[in-house]
Amino acid sequence: MTNPTPGASRREFLSTAASAPLVAGAAAGVLGGEARAQTTTGAAMAGGQVLVTLKVNGQTHRLSLDPRVTLVDALREHLGLTGTKVGCNHGQCGACTVHKDGVRVLSCLTLAVAAEGSEITTIEGLADGDELHPMQAAFVQHDAYQCGYCTPGQILSAVACVKEGHAGSDAEIREYMSGNLCRCGAYVNIVAAINDAKTKMGA
Amino acid sequence: MAELPLIGEGAPRIDGRLKVTGDARYAADFSVPNPAYAQLVTSTIARGRIVSLDASEAGKVPGVLKVYTHENAPKIEGVPFFGKGGQAYQGFRPLQGVEIKHEGQIIALVVAETLEAAREAAFRVKATYEPQTPAATFGDGGTETEVAAEISKQHTDPKTGDADAALKDAAHVVEAEYETATNHHNAMELYSTTAHWTGDHLTIYEPSQWVYGLRAGVAGELGIPQDKVRVLSPFTGGAFGSKGTVTARSALTAAAARALNRPVKLLVTRAQGYTTASYRAETKHRIRLGADGDGTFVGFVHEGFELTSRPDTFLVSGTESTVRMYGFKNVRTKVSAVRADRNTPGFMRSPAEVPYMFALESAVDELAWKIGMDPIELRLKNDTKTDPITGKPFTTRQVRACFERAKELFGWDRRVAKVGAMRADGELVGYGAALACYPTQLAPAAVRLTLEGKGRARVQIAAHDIGTGTYTVLAQAAAGLLGVALDRVEVELGDTNLPAGPISGGSVATASSVSAIMKAAEAIRLRLATAATTSNDGPLAGKDKESVVLKDGRLVAEDGTGEDLTDAFKRLGVGTVEEYAEWLPDGVDEKAMRGLYNGSVKIVGGPMQDRTQFSFGAELVEVRVNPRTLSIRVPRMVGVFASGRIMNRMTAGSQVLGGMVWGVGSALHEQTEIDRRYARYVNDNIAEYLVPVNADIVHQEIEFLEEDDGEVNLAGVKGLGELGNVGTNAAVANAVYHATGFRARKIPIRIEDVLKSHLV
Repeated sequence: MTNPTPGASRREFLSTAASAPLVAGAAAGVLGGEARAQTTTGAAMAGGQVLVTLKVNGQTHRLSLDPRVTLVDALREHLGLTGTKVGCNHGQCGACTVHKDGVRVLSCLTLAVAAEGSEITTIEGLADGDELHPMQAAFVQHDAYQCGYCTPGQILSAVACVKEGHAGSDAEIREYMSGNLCRCGAYVNIVAAINDAKTKMGA
Repeated sequence: MAELPLIGEGAPRIDGRLKVTGDARYAADFSVPNPAYAQLVTSTIARGRIVSLDASEAGKVPGVLKVYTHENAPKIEGVPFFGKGGQAYQGFRPLQGVEIKHEGQIIALVVAETLEAAREAAFRVKATYEPQTPAATFGDGGTETEVAAEISKQHTDPKTGDADAALKDAAHVVEAEYETATNHHNAMELYSTTAHWTGDHLTIYEPSQWVYGLRAGVAGELGIPQDKVRVLSPFTGGAFGSKGTVTARSALTAAAARALNRPVKLLVTRAQGYTTASYRAETKHRIRLGADGDGTFVGFVHEGFELTSRPDTFLVSGTESTVRMYGFKNVRTKVSAVRADRNTPGFMRSPAEVPYMFALESAVDELAWKIGMDPIELRLKNDTKTDPITGKPFTTRQVRACFERAKELFGWDRRVAKVGAMRADGELVGYGAALACYPTQLAPAAVRLTLEGKGRARVQIAAHDIGTGTYTVLAQAAAGLLGVALDRVEVELGDTNLPAGPISGGSVATASSVSAIMKAAEAIRLRLATAATTSNDGPLAGKDKESVVLKDGRLVAEDGTGEDLTDAFKRLGVGTVEEYAEWLPDGVDEKAMRGLYNGSVKIVGGPMQDRTQFSFGAELVEVRVNPRTLSIRVPRMVGVFASGRIMNRMTAGSQVLGGMVWGVGSALHEQTEIDRRYARYVNDNIAEYLVPVNADIVHQEIEFLEEDDGEVNLAGVKGLGELGNVGTNAAVANAVYHATGFRARKIPIRIEDVLKSHLV
């Protein structure tokens, strides 16, 4: 579990850090939102660090983090795992999708401390050595991307979509992949890639 | 020289593996030693002055290193606005004074040890303003309307004959006003800048579609030589025009990094991206289109109104395209700028054609209904082989073939030529068509091409892959021309240490870069062929060097005799041949190459001295309107395009598929809503700014026609980045009319608009 350092009260930690992303998700604009002068929020934070142990792609990492650090920022800025992308920081676009204990989650709306004790899988951990995961291979084969920025999130979402049993038909795939925006508009190829990969995944 | 195919193999992207494993490095992915994190603070008023900016609370946040405001910001020498030949996104520089020119203007830059501290401190900067009432958009008090031709020497309004007189005598006339909404690019990748100084040398990591321009802009703004700056952007996470010009943040971040003596990484929020970079401005159009009794167009008047900022005149002037679409005999056009208190708009995918072709292609449909003609028939009746304004021929123009093939793929013959007459699954069905076009444009390009005797090749050019497949298509060009396997070609892009490539804008990148590669490849071929044919021995001795080509790892003559590359290189006595080539489009003088290196853009195309060059396409869509919910869906789209040589049928296909998705967005989803009281964007996020999601796009079918166009450029490539999303919005609106009888003259079409239909 997390160990708030002395000086940062547990109560303060819970009422600020933990609630901030929820507010951000609902009202779009507190912690991850844009800073606008005159709209100062009351989200005062203690400066203390917390020790966080993250298990990412099978590797255990011990980090000393500001408790406000989100999972995506921990991955990118603290662990150098930059495959996970930030597209909005508001849980709106899906680019930051990772697996937490096999379930797809938005890492921009997940605090790093809340990921402790879970198995996190990012795009860097999906392939088996040099052998691409069937979903990765299918994305290449079907040109299921263009700029590639949403791709890590699309692929992790797609793998989960298949495992959840939500890839039964094109319509179902489209529906269950609609949380992952692709501004380049590669949607029809993404659906084709998922259809292709799902058989190879044994689904 | 070896010939490239007219429609290239659909080879998977050579950078595909990097993209699916997370190894493709975008600007914000580069690690720099011990970075400080920066966040912007932006204004909450659109017009007025800053009375005071209190950064004391922000400064107290643990970890904050510096808060820059107008009182202590580094002095930035503004480089000229892009529209005036410079690199800057807008002429006005924030943080250099108290003046506020638009909502969301940068008023402070916070730098801290951590991202979290920077975010917190950014919220704690307090501004007090002396606000003035802003003008937000068309129709607001305080906007100023200026006629483009009167304020800009470069602007001319295309004109021919006497359109007003012709329209008086026309049998059928459509006279209507059309409107398109404010749109923001919303590339998935957020804006960011990372600045790293090593001594007096600066490295910038920033998502870019023009690294040389960014280098010139940042160097100019900091007052340092360009060769002291390196810009890296090997992967760009979508750009669509938004990452071509230099925004204020780049030099500010670099100056902060210099002052603080450590690398600084600025991450811009999505909301801030709406106001600190460009967007597609709203437009209005007055159209008059007339035809005689049999549908022959006799006159066309197109007047456009475009919103721009107070300091900058940014106009897309799409009349330059609309007037060339049909055999109009009489044309009159006029473009006006409407100034408001907004950030400066800019290029967004098919900047001119998306709004202007919406107006034209809607009007053509309206006229077809008025005459009682099939809208495709009306278009084909008025097809032309010559540019109606200049009288010069189109290099290639397969409008008829595109429509005929598209009709076949779509099943257009099932169309019932009556409003509201088609139904399926209890829903109203409508078919709509529109013409797609894009001027074939080119820019100077330089490339270094290397061929090793072992059969490996390398392409080095500061072009960009913004999702366009540039890595792959340039590798295919080199592989095809040098006769080596695709997987033996390496491509380096997006780095100012490489030869200067074209801006990735105006659909110039592939055509210009491949033309330069062809020049370099020819020089390599000639070196090897000369050595082999002038040699005293060897299978090619005495052969005509012009007949010798590089093919399948061999140097071969027409009769099939030849030798392996390794032998050919042995004769040369080197292991590697490297050629640097500079390519200039027709009519561009040599100074443009120096300009390219110095960050100045020279793009030519569309109407040329002796010809007019465009790519064309036909887009057909079906819409379904639910009679109860009034929701409009697009279950299928067909697009057939003729765009010169297609380098890779798969990546090209993705481009136009994506373009058509953008067209659906333009027609049904995308609108940046503005609070007119405050000239403020309301839905400045990617949930409330609606873009098409996976569930919105059901079935798309596209095809490319073979098109051999030797006139447009060396490569015969016309460019594809923008063609696909031209006309789609009109095709959707035309289909909505067919289904419901509601004529959408304003996009995006909302459910409440459809309520005006008598059929629902």
